[in-house]
Amino acid sequence: MLSSRLLTVVLLLVLVSASVVLGVRFRNYSLPGNQQGYEPVQPIAFSHRLHAGDLQIACIYCHSGADRSRHAGIPASSLCMNCHRLVTASPDAMLQEVQQARQAGRPPQPVISPELVKLYDSLGLDEKMQPDPAKKLRPIPWVKVHNLPDFSCFDHRPHVRAGVECQECHGPVQTMERVRQVEDLSMGWCVNCHREKGIAGVDGKKVKPSTDCAACHY
Amino acid sequence: MASEEKVDGSRQASLALPLVGDDSAASSPSRRDFLRLAGFALGATLTGCQRAPVQHALAYVNQPGDLVPGRSYSYASTCGGCSAGCGLLATTRDGRPIKLEGNPEHPLSRGGLCAAGQASLLGLYDGQRLEHPQQRGRDTEWLQVDLAVRARLEDIRKNGGAVRFLSGSLLGPTGSALLQQFLGTFADARHIVYDSSSHSAILAAHAVTHGVRLLPHYRLDKAQTLVSFDADFLGTWISPVEFTAAYRSGRNIDGAEPRMSYHVHFESRLSLTGSKADERFTIAPGEVGSILNHLATRLAKKAGVAVPEGASAESPLDAGILDRLAERLWSDRGRSLILCDSQDVDVQVVCNFLNHLLGNYGATLDVERPSYQRQGDDREVHKLLDELHAGKVAALFLYQCDPLHDLPDGDKLRDDLKRVPLVVSFAERTNETSQRAHYVCPTPHFLESWSDAEPVAGLVSLVQPAIAPRGEPRSLPESLAAWMNKPQSDYDLLRAHWEKEIYPRADKLPKPSFQAFWDRTLLDGFAQVTTPPSKTKSFDVSKVRLLPPSSPSKDGSLTLVIYSKVGMPDASHAYNPWLQELPDPISKVTWDNYACLSPEAAKRLGANTGDVVRLDGGAAVLELPVLVQPGQHDGIVAVALGYGSLLSARFASIGPQWLEAKPTLGHNGRVGSNAAEMLTWSGDTLQRLRAGVRPTKTNRQHPLALTQQYNLLDVPPRLALPGQQRRPIIHETTLERLRRGDVGAAHDEEEKADLWTPDHASEGPHWGMAIDLSACTGCSACVVACQVENNIPTVGKDEVRRQREMHWLRIDRYYTERPGGVDVAYQPMLCQHCGNAPCEVVCPVLATVHGEEGLNQQVYNRCVGTRYCANNCPYLVRRFNWFDYAHDDTMHNLVLNPDVTVRSRGVMEKCSFCVHRIQEAKIEAGREERALRDGDIRTACQQSCPAQAIVFGDLNDPKSRVSKLASGSRAYRVLEELNVKPSVNYLGLVRNRPAAAEENSHG
Repeated sequence: MLSSRLLTVVLLLVLVSASVVLGVRFRNYSLPGNQQGYEPVQPIAFSHRLHAGDLQIACIYCHSGADRSRHAGIPASSLCMNCHRLVTASPDAMLQEVQQARQAGRPPQPVISPELVKLYDSLGLDEKMQPDPAKKLRPIPWVKVHNLPDFSCFDHRPHVRAGVECQECHGPVQTMERVRQVEDLSMGWCVNCHREKGIAGVDGKKVKPSTDCAACHY
Repeated sequence: MASEEKVDGSRQASLALPLVGDDSAASSPSRRDFLRLAGFALGATLTGCQRAPVQHALAYVNQPGDLVPGRSYSYASTCGGCSAGCGLLATTRDGRPIKLEGNPEHPLSRGGLCAAGQASLLGLYDGQRLEHPQQRGRDTEWLQVDLAVRARLEDIRKNGGAVRFLSGSLLGPTGSALLQQFLGTFADARHIVYDSSSHSAILAAHAVTHGVRLLPHYRLDKAQTLVSFDADFLGTWISPVEFTAAYRSGRNIDGAEPRMSYHVHFESRLSLTGSKADERFTIAPGEVGSILNHLATRLAKKAGVAVPEGASAESPLDAGILDRLAERLWSDRGRSLILCDSQDVDVQVVCNFLNHLLGNYGATLDVERPSYQRQGDDREVHKLLDELHAGKVAALFLYQCDPLHDLPDGDKLRDDLKRVPLVVSFAERTNETSQRAHYVCPTPHFLESWSDAEPVAGLVSLVQPAIAPRGEPRSLPESLAAWMNKPQSDYDLLRAHWEKEIYPRADKLPKPSFQAFWDRTLLDGFAQVTTPPSKTKSFDVSKVRLLPPSSPSKDGSLTLVIYSKVGMPDASHAYNPWLQELPDPISKVTWDNYACLSPEAAKRLGANTGDVVRLDGGAAVLELPVLVQPGQHDGIVAVALGYGSLLSARFASIGPQWLEAKPTLGHNGRVGSNAAEMLTWSGDTLQRLRAGVRPTKTNRQHPLALTQQYNLLDVPPRLALPGQQRRPIIHETTLERLRRGDVGAAHDEEEKADLWTPDHASEGPHWGMAIDLSACTGCSACVVACQVENNIPTVGKDEVRRQREMHWLRIDRYYTERPGGVDVAYQPMLCQHCGNAPCEVVCPVLATVHGEEGLNQQVYNRCVGTRYCANNCPYLVRRFNWFDYAHDDTMHNLVLNPDVTVRSRGVMEKCSFCVHRIQEAKIEAGREERALRDGDIRTACQQSCPAQAIVFGDLNDPKSRVSKLASGSRAYRVLEELNVKPSVNYLGLVRNRPAAAEENSHG
């Protein structure tokens, strides 16, 4: 008798603790394929906080496809060279070298950040920043953060044209050292925004976002 | 590669699951076995549970120009699918060509592109294309080939010997010039041209009558009355896209005053062109001469010209018909055209005589600016075969041709080739002849290299690469330059030739600089230039002789008619699964060639569709399945060329490989059988007719994969109420009756009780389509266009037989029997995007729903595959993915359109009205801050149609072309009585058939 009552109590305890544990888990349960919070390590430790935040470079300077193509695009290595032909390391490090050289009375040595070496390698440049025919051109294998399933067709153009801020979908990228997927990119999330913006408009401008299936699925 | 994977997979399976009967598993599975299996299963589950795989995004290293990733770009070029030289736009996406479309500015093709031309894109991504030069079947280096060939040629230059270069019609002026230069370095060298469907007799006849061997440029757009003898000019004859566009321009029914050319067709088999004719007469092949004789006699009398000498036999046709035709031709002189496909030079001479009497030379036939689309000279080919047999040839070059497959008596030629000291084959893929060549030089696909074309004198066009070549192919000019010790790239050779030869011919004033001329031509794809003065002499009437009467066979033997299929112009396309699976417009057969017999002839033989017959032609024998073909002469059997090719051996494993799968290939390991063995040499031309063929029925069966039977919209007889078996699916009338307001069927004006509440928004656009059945020739260009655009898989013969072909757009063919033949109607059938769609109400998961803009949308990721919608669709246009119809050749994945989802197994799909093109056009209009214009959106089928039969647009906009057509008198909706409110409007079929002929046929 005693043992069976004990067993009941134990079983009840197990049930309660399991439901608490599972309840917590299920509150954070995400549908398969949901990659919210995905923050992969990139081949180059490129900082959006520095470029988009501190330096305030417009998103569309690098992701220039956003208003012309369905993909915003990842900039070609050659685009980085518009600045990084001259900026080969952080300004602090470069300034320090200049000061040290002045103190030592020698011409300053070039300072090259180890992360930027990867960029120069991709372009097949040698130490003097000249093309080295012996080196092969290699594209940088960036890891894609925001992925949609193949059966949904997202197009950047109408969103940029309507005036939707990049941050609305991509989160505060200008504060991120490494880009993280902030939103869950689920269909419900897309449709909610389409419905709300259809009523509220974007920046006071009236828009007509479609909620047709074929707006995205074809 | 595929076979390796297969081996690996089976090994893994045997490790994991020991089979019963296996030695190790003789006893019942032990505890250890169970744990091992359980562990494997757990491991497999855990590996399946990880995050989505990491996706890399590779950007350019150096950004090329203005190219934006993800945008489509079009480059004007010239089609290399056949020697018609149509203008095309190659759409590339992120560096890959993904679609070929007609160039709307091109003066010949006018925006159309045929099925074979569009499908030739797949050749670019053919995994079995040659990548490296070969020596005796083994890959080698170009250096080795060049050294060996140069040494051999040097020897021939010193010691003499015959050099022969065999090719199809070469359209490129640069290549031809270089070839002449190359051959000029030898004492005895000749370029011999042959076409797999030869028109040598037309050229030879003009040598007789005009003093110059040429193919006139037929101007069908200027012809009011067209009489064709077996010439399938809308299907396969010389330049079908150009002719279809021109033919269409002469048939404008919807203008203020309906205008239609009058087209009379005489033929023995039922061709695409015959099926579109206003009047069609089924005659025996031998009766062409007699009818030409009679027309010549009548017209010569009218023209006051002495009737040429020669016999004149009894006419096979009623004299009244011929009188009427002669009268019509005479009243339209200078605006008429007689076309003849015969390979008999004497017949062609009489045909020329008729055109001369009618004053058509200089009007509808241009001999001043002739066509170069067929240059084949059968006499020269025959001479070459004799030389080869005599062992007189020291070096034979074969450029993109396969004489062992295309010419009769292959065994003899095979032996003769062994005795040639040097055989070099330029080929894209291994064919019968290149297998036996000493050296095979891979040539690039036409989208990979620079070249040019001059299909008609004075119209030069450029071929520009749209992608870097795969492997190391070398174009003909590059190879020739290398062997003349002046290696140069094809681009340099092309530019040099254009600067020297073509640019001086540019007649535009003020004359631009060469660079400007080049840039303009590259942008447009073509340029019009002057031509050298023609050397033609005036018509020589003295050479014309009327034709001797032919004696019909009385011994029960048949005449074999060898023809080319619309979807398979010649064997060089046999590698292409899109074309193999394209249903023939008339027979609706895929994946085979067959012996067409008329119902009467089949009855006499006791054979039915699918029975194998043996066609005994004496020296050559052919075994093929029968297809009973109405509308054909009883005395003939018709067989298509281009089948039984080595290139089709690759389809051994196409389609899903499951338990009940049946092979696509026949007993010979190929698709179909080669009919070229039955061609005959006569009078120095290669004849496509062979008399005295004896058919015998065998006991074997070879089932054909036909698509029409299960797509018919007719009510099956066993289900129909009396008098309702025929639904008015095709509305048909004649021009005369149309003028009186008779459109062929009563409009259904009755108000229907409507169960649907009008809940679909009607503001904004309502996308719809108008398809002109009168313009549609059934050429099936739209079917392939849709397949390429929408990533539609090929499924293999067995799946087609199981009614599982995946084409979103099909062309239904309907026969109407009438005395003396059949009338044929074509009806492109696609999703009708019904307002009250029957499919939508039965879907349990709302995977097919109605859009705001009238589209019936199919959402693949919602579909669970109940197939209720397909069962409820009255148009039978929904397609179900019974399997993952993966490509046999994984290279083919590169041709997929990134704008359209690739559907997986268990999902329903159907025509989407090219919704991705609608979205693209809307977005681009938005970017340009303007409203959508009528014509901004062109569906893939509409774009490719050479006859411009399809118009797409907004039905809610009263000014759009489509709504004007849809509200016209000819417009009707198929199965309108069901009240499903389709968005596709068909315009009724109109034939320009005189009342006299009407009475004949109905009387």
